[in-house]
Amino acid sequence: MPRNFGQVSRRRFVAGAAGSGAAIVAPAVFTGARAADELKMATFFPLSGPAALFGPTGTACTRLAVDEINAAGGIGGRKVTIVPADGGAPPAEAAKAAIRLMLRDKVELVVGSHNSAVREAIVAALKGKIPYVYTPLYEGGECNPNVYVTADTPQQQVQPSITWLARTLGAKTYYLIGNDYVWPRKTNEQAKKYIAEAGGSVVGEEYVPLGAPNKFEDAVTRIKAKNPDLVVITLVGGDNVNFNRTFAGFGLDKSIKRISYLLEELTLLGIGDKSSNGLYSAMSYFVNEKSEANAKFKASFAKAFAPKPPPLSMLGVDSYSGVYCAKALIEKAGGTGDAGRLMAASNALRYRTATGTAVMTNRHVVKDMFLAECKGTSFEIVETFKAVAHGQACS
Amino acid sequence: MDPILTTNILNVVYEVSTLAVVVLGLAVVFGLLNVMNLAHGEFVMIGAYCAFFVQTQDLPFLAAVPLALLVCGFIGLVVERILVRPLYARPFDTLLATWGLSMLLREAVEAIYGRGFRSVATPLTGSVDVLGAGYPAYRLLLTAVSIALVAGLVWWFVQSATGRRIRAVVNNPELAGSVGIPVTALARNTFVFGCCLAALAGVMLAPLLPVNPTLGLDFILKSFFVLVVGGLGSLVGLISGAGVIGGVESVVSAVSDRTWGYSTVLVIAILFLWLRPNGLFPRT
Repeated sequence: MPRNFGQVSRRRFVAGAAGSGAAIVAPAVFTGARAADELKMATFFPLSGPAALFGPTGTACTRLAVDEINAAGGIGGRKVTIVPADGGAPPAEAAKAAIRLMLRDKVELVVGSHNSAVREAIVAALKGKIPYVYTPLYEGGECNPNVYVTADTPQQQVQPSITWLARTLGAKTYYLIGNDYVWPRKTNEQAKKYIAEAGGSVVGEEYVPLGAPNKFEDAVTRIKAKNPDLVVITLVGGDNVNFNRTFAGFGLDKSIKRISYLLEELTLLGIGDKSSNGLYSAMSYFVNEKSEANAKFKASFAKAFAPKPPPLSMLGVDSYSGVYCAKALIEKAGGTGDAGRLMAASNALRYRTATGTAVMTNRHVVKDMFLAECKGTSFEIVETFKAVAHGQACS
Repeated sequence: MDPILTTNILNVVYEVSTLAVVVLGLAVVFGLLNVMNLAHGEFVMIGAYCAFFVQTQDLPFLAAVPLALLVCGFIGLVVERILVRPLYARPFDTLLATWGLSMLLREAVEAIYGRGFRSVATPLTGSVDVLGAGYPAYRLLLTAVSIALVAGLVWWFVQSATGRRIRAVVNNPELAGSVGIPVTALARNTFVFGCCLAALAGVMLAPLLPVNPTLGLDFILKSFFVLVVGGLGSLVGLISGAGVIGGVESVVSAVSDRTWGYSTVLVIAILFLWLRPNGLFPRT
């Protein structure tokens, strides 16, 4: 936590309380449904479907952030309550849930960590009427009004890591493999740009269907034939596990390095210590990150959910920072009711994350990025890239 | 021979033979009992978790084999008695019932182990030189064991007395019963046997899979395609079906990519359902 954090929040507390008070008094007269002292926040975490693996961590991290915020006086003096919804539902279902939460439950804020199809559905449902903070990593390009993206962008993940690997490992030839949907393709667009800038060349690029029972013997054999220096992986979940196990099973891990752009602690557990040799990951959070803030965060998390805390990983911890981003935003704008003021307030907004602080510009976040090398089933950070630009141009 | 070509050929043999083992239990149960066990993939998944459990207890990998047979055999026994037996003459109802069972088994495993991925260490590391191409030793062993298992079962079914009795029951259950063949017991044993085959496939494949509760879903669809192509209810059909589905997918994937491989399999399955619904080797 930064030293002046309490001071700033106390000043904003007053401004926030005044602003949000004005915003909520009027509707309360008509409906009588909204308790003036509570701020309802909807959360969308995958509670079902293939990403449900990450749901419990997201839910717990949000709980922790909200409990901490409430203990320190809430957001703008108002206690926060969580109204959970399923971010793993089909997009149309998520949209319906968003409308219901906004109109019936009177939530004033949405925080979500889920895929982009669901995000687009929620954005369309909310129509910018209430602020929506989107937190996992994603392909970039979300500029709709009143949407605030704390996610890692491809620019942040790819640019520093590819440049570093090209220089440090002397990688010249690259093979790209990913699932066939928007995030891997956008990420690889960035990768190709920085590979070219580093003087390297792409010797192969392939995509496998998302959600099909994929096997990777053929892809690994193709990679073996091309013998690249670095394999850039944008496979997700089970496919990521399966590919990396097959890759190491064929012995390619001994001579070819890999970087995966959606590889966090839970996926690495599936890949296993025998298959993680020469594998890198680049994201804005790793459990092993050594900062004091992260140590504090992990200690509070372990204490809050003892004796069996859910496993920590980037997907989940992202929502802890997301809630703090929402708090800073609402307090700076003086309430949740005015999209214009919120959007103006988001510029140069400073907020707390699990590993320190981050700064929002263009409704995306300039943040420190980490490059980690797998050591068995844990990550060892080999390089920290300070204040990496997000490359997004939302107004 | 070009080592890459050799590797590709071994990949095809590996894919076909392991697919045949996964489908084996499903084919036996469907062929003999007319029960389409949609929970078959979940028995594979439980087999894989047995391999994981054994690893957490620091026991040798092979200890997973008796454990998986015991666990899945027992579940199979209970399921046959209370779920499948009352529905023998109602194929659609068994379909729904075993679908429900598959969800129950998934949730049960999730309740114990959570949703996360588990990794099972490969019991045999390193690679073997095959005609100048290094191929992972465990995959080679798996291919050999799979072929032996399928061949052994075919041989047993053709020549043993039990195999003859099973064929008699399939052809004419009333007549078989009247000449003293214990039809009910035979049906029960067949179902349990099918579950045990799935469990065995799960143990064998566990070191190569992302072990998680939804693992079984990956197998059931492709297994169904194999039966559609091969024809329901004969082992020759099973082997040819696995050959066509597994072979086409891995050959097409090797020359283009997985998207084409997967699409081709879907097209073949649709064409068979449309033009040749009884498959290559229909039951006579």
